[in-house]
Amino acid sequence: MENAIEVKDLEKYYGTLKAINGVSFNVNEGEIFGLIGPNGAGKTTILRIISTLLQITSGSIKVFKHDVTKEAPYIRKLISYLPEEAGAYKNLSGKGYLEFIAGFYSDNEEMVNKGVEIAQLGERITDKVSSYSKGMTRRLLVARALMVAPRLAILDEPTVGLDVINSQEIRRIIKDFVKKGTTVLLSSHNMLEVEFLCDRIALLNEGVIIERGTPQELKEKYKAKNVEEVFIEAVK
Amino acid sequence: MRHFYNLVKKEVKELLTREVIVSMVFMLVFFVFMGRIIKGAEEEAKEINISILDLDRTPYLQNILNIVSKQGIEINSIEAEDIENAIKEAKEKNATVLLVIPPGFGVKIQEMEKAELEMYSIMKGLSIKETISSEIIKSIIGALNKSIATSFIQKAVPDKDPEDILSPIHTKDFVVIKERTIPGTPGVLFALITSQSIMIPLILVMVIMYTGMMVMTSMGSEKESKTLETLLSLPIGRGHIIAGKMAGSAIIGFMMTIVYMGGVRYYMSPMMGAPEISIHLKDLGLSMTSLGYLLLGTSLFLAILAALSGCIILGVFAQDTKSAQTMSYPIMLLAFIPFFLSMFKDIETLPLSLKIIVYAIPFSHPMIASKSLIFHDYSTVLWGIGYMAIFIAITMWIGVRIFNTDKVLTARFAIRRKKIGR
Repeated sequence: MENAIEVKDLEKYYGTLKAINGVSFNVNEGEIFGLIGPNGAGKTTILRIISTLLQITSGSIKVFKHDVTKEAPYIRKLISYLPEEAGAYKNLSGKGYLEFIAGFYSDNEEMVNKGVEIAQLGERITDKVSSYSKGMTRRLLVARALMVAPRLAILDEPTVGLDVINSQEIRRIIKDFVKKGTTVLLSSHNMLEVEFLCDRIALLNEGVIIERGTPQELKEKYKAKNVEEVFIEAVK
Repeated sequence: MRHFYNLVKKEVKELLTREVIVSMVFMLVFFVFMGRIIKGAEEEAKEINISILDLDRTPYLQNILNIVSKQGIEINSIEAEDIENAIKEAKEKNATVLLVIPPGFGVKIQEMEKAELEMYSIMKGLSIKETISSEIIKSIIGALNKSIATSFIQKAVPDKDPEDILSPIHTKDFVVIKERTIPGTPGVLFALITSQSIMIPLILVMVIMYTGMMVMTSMGSEKESKTLETLLSLPIGRGHIIAGKMAGSAIIGFMMTIVYMGGVRYYMSPMMGAPEISIHLKDLGLSMTSLGYLLLGTSLFLAILAALSGCIILGVFAQDTKSAQTMSYPIMLLAFIPFFLSMFKDIETLPLSLKIIVYAIPFSHPMIASKSLIFHDYSTVLWGIGYMAIFIAITMWIGVRIFNTDKVLTARFAIRRKKIGR
């Protein structure tokens, strides 16, 4: 199976602060890979670097064998990134926002219909984004990220701000997309979500990967009932 | 091109908020309202009503009446025994001025002695309108003086033109400027050139102010609404993002400028009557040619692009819309420096150090061009256009470079890093 992402000896400094310290991992094509870690572990930095938003201090990252530093514009055609703290343009309607995003891809009418279907906002899809609740905005953003059917979806806390029912629905949609061939790299604080969604996970602490494997392997290794216990034990 | 159009459409929709539309409508209504008040006040001021109390029964009264009637002013005679009663009667007749011809006025004039007229301005308030009527009366008295003096001269020296005796010296004025000798006085020439070129700096300052503010707001809003990361991760060239922001902001900025300038024009129209100068720049060989207009348009366009590209770079450092608007002040200040200087000084005559600073500001060049082109000085304008083109190329390159690095996002990181680490 081809590697969707290959991260080698990644280091990232913000001024003098070392945010990522020699991280290496691979994500297989067609799998859901989770990055877990406490606040400030460096999860978002890694996702932003893979999304071509931040530059690498040292090391290398390849997405479908393309270098993120040298081939950033090409990689942006392959990926879709959902930031944790994302918003949508407040003066546009939900549908208008999806149309705006779809405007950068071909076959955009079908894309918008797909987005409307994923967002499940009913008639409110034509209302201005400024009138949406946090949960509604998040659903719209998840729809935006997935409707473009990317080869690689990079999702930073995809269900943050959503209630239990909506979260479950979004997880189901993510799984459906993976069945259709999308690879997913996600970060989450929700251990239940990670266990339910991810084929493999990496535990990140202070910019270093301290553990990796399938949720089952890690639970067995740490004799833990769930990933949450694995996480607590590994971070100790 | 499709991506660019998509971005421009989004920018326009995002920037043209209900608040912006309301403020534009308010601005227009405000100026129209103020313009009507001023127009009304001016028309009221024209409605002058003069009462005359002739205590001398002088034959010169007819002279006064003839001059006054030429001005289209309503006049009425008052029969009263004293000033107090005359004022009372004038007030009843709604007069703005009471003119009293004291006894002995006619005799003094006939004997070529200084005679006195008493003028009582009846003020109903403290508005500017109240001062206009007394000024008109003074001009009438001036005309009366001239008329009486002329009649005396005609009687004394019938074969001479009284005008030659009243003003025996005539001057023939010439102005030597930029290798040209032009008939006229510096004052007239300055008034003519200013009337032709004053609008250019004003419009430019307004456009820079509004478009600059819009592009900064757009950048600040992307950060505030947390949409920038998503936008930067989309398959769009960084150059397209910058160009889309500049074009979208320019459209809204131009709309606001048109509304503002339209409002100001309406508001100022009662105060800005046609200049009473009988000569035109064309008569002096100082009009702008079609090439001049083309160069001026190019110069203006490039100055606006320079402002927008500068604002894009500043906008990268904005945290939100509020800080973005504050950060647009340096650009506005740079536009105001040549604007005020060009109003009071000719930039060409400034000391070298100040001149270098002014020339370094790209917005100075259309202001310089608006005057230089009247004198057909194309080389100065072409140098300015060349300088602005280089300035824009450099700032756009810096802008694209910044958008391709962490810096477009790290300004926010610098603050958040302390809170959440990474």
